[in-house]
Amino acid sequence: MSDAAEAELLDIPEMDADAWADYVEAQGWTDGLPLVVPTEDAVARMMDGARGDNEPFPAITPRQLIPTLRSLAANAVMAGCRPAYFPVVLSALRGVLVADYNLHGSLATTHACAPMIMVNGPLRQTLNINCGTNCMGQGWRANAAIGRALQLILLNIGGAKPAIMDRSTFGSPAKYTFCFGENEEESPFPPYHVRHGFNAIEGVVTVMSAEPNHNLNDHGSTTGKGILTTFAGAIASPAANTVYAKGPFFIVFGPEHAATLARDKFTVEQVQQFLYDKARVPVDQVSPENHQIYAESGHLPENGFYRVAPTPDDIHVAVAGGPGKHSAWIPSFGGTAAISVRVKPPAA
Amino acid sequence: MVIATETFRPLVLAQAKARKLEPHLIVVKHPVGGLNTAELQDRIDTAFEGLKLEMKG
Amino acid sequence: MRIVNPSYGIAPQGEGSATAGPVDWANDPIILFSNNKPNAKELLEGVRNRLSAIRRVDNIDYIAKGSASQPAPPEMINEVARKYRIALLALGD
Repeated sequence: MSDAAEAELLDIPEMDADAWADYVEAQGWTDGLPLVVPTEDAVARMMDGARGDNEPFPAITPRQLIPTLRSLAANAVMAGCRPAYFPVVLSALRGVLVADYNLHGSLATTHACAPMIMVNGPLRQTLNINCGTNCMGQGWRANAAIGRALQLILLNIGGAKPAIMDRSTFGSPAKYTFCFGENEEESPFPPYHVRHGFNAIEGVVTVMSAEPNHNLNDHGSTTGKGILTTFAGAIASPAANTVYAKGPFFIVFGPEHAATLARDKFTVEQVQQFLYDKARVPVDQVSPENHQIYAESGHLPENGFYRVAPTPDDIHVAVAGGPGKHSAWIPSFGGTAAISVRVKPPAA
Repeated sequence: MVIATETFRPLVLAQAKARKLEPHLIVVKHPVGGLNTAELQDRIDTAFEGLKLEMKG
Repeated sequence: MRIVNPSYGIAPQGEGSATAGPVDWANDPIILFSNNKPNAKELLEGVRNRLSAIRRVDNIDYIAKGSASQPAPPEMINEVARKYRIALLALGD
């Protein structure tokens, strides 16, 4: 992949699927899995999915090139997107390009973070985005392709080439794709996007530089307080970036846990406050060297404990997934923010 | 002038290229984090020698 | 066949290459700029101690960005650029 701006259209020899796979590998365009060929026609159809979206994009770090709608659409084609997914991909991209998301830091870091994309609003059904059973896993084209398209854009236009610009020690499966919908239908709480100032009927994507989901198992507790007590202990990890670098994280409740919380009259704000107060790392679980490093960055213990979030509002609450006594903790990179962006429907 | 570990040298060069900069780069062994005081001396020695070369032009 | 280049992008206008002017290594003020990663401060201060044998060090200062994972604020960078002729940055682990 060249660092210079190249031709937007390339004439290449006709080739079969195997040769195409070799070609994209040689170009450095792939995440390792097969890619759809971004022919002019396929890309034009993809662009039609975002017709009317003329808002320019800023340059994408670290390569510092401004994308064109066509080059963005080429990546969406390669990822396997339907044209109807493209506005969601573009909104997710706008989200990671907001300064507080810290795209440059999150791409160059040794941490395993990747862009988490959560989708809200009626377009989840329109696009068949999985919000229920296995929603963070495989099997749904929209979830897989939307997250993958964003990753390919960051790789190919942004230049986040693994082992050169992307310095993650391990990487993570989320670097292939990490997209799910909130299960608004089975949530006892107002939808995430409504709590953040959007209308219920709007399509909204929320992005955060995140680790993959960590499972939170609680089959035994029969009260909301019991579930939150279990979770507070689980997320109080002295090795999490949310302690090391501070920052936001998501608790995505499975519908069964959420129902128990609602039955016991917990509001989202009370959940946030409970976890903020109870999820604490004892100082004796933190090494002396880390004490010093935390102190130098102004992160001091309170009454013998370190908090795991800067404020209760940094604990983001959503509901997703299907039946089962499981929820998900999604820690962030630390130096990032959860950014919500409205999805622009294509012009009629 | 940038002091970077050898592991991060490609990252520094790629970022500098994107910004059309010619970095004055001093490369030391990886890692720097996690070393004790004695281990860090080697990195300081290397960085200082690199800096002296830069100062001579 | 004709395809759309998925790595295509346009270089922003008006961004020329930056070059550093000449410096006086014996006397110009130096800023030691830490990325706030563990041992970055110790590395830079070790270099400063060695520099004391070959140049004045009373105008060598130290600064660290607020978080290892976040960029230095522009006002910090501008202030450093205004006050110092030489910056020694610890970057990358």
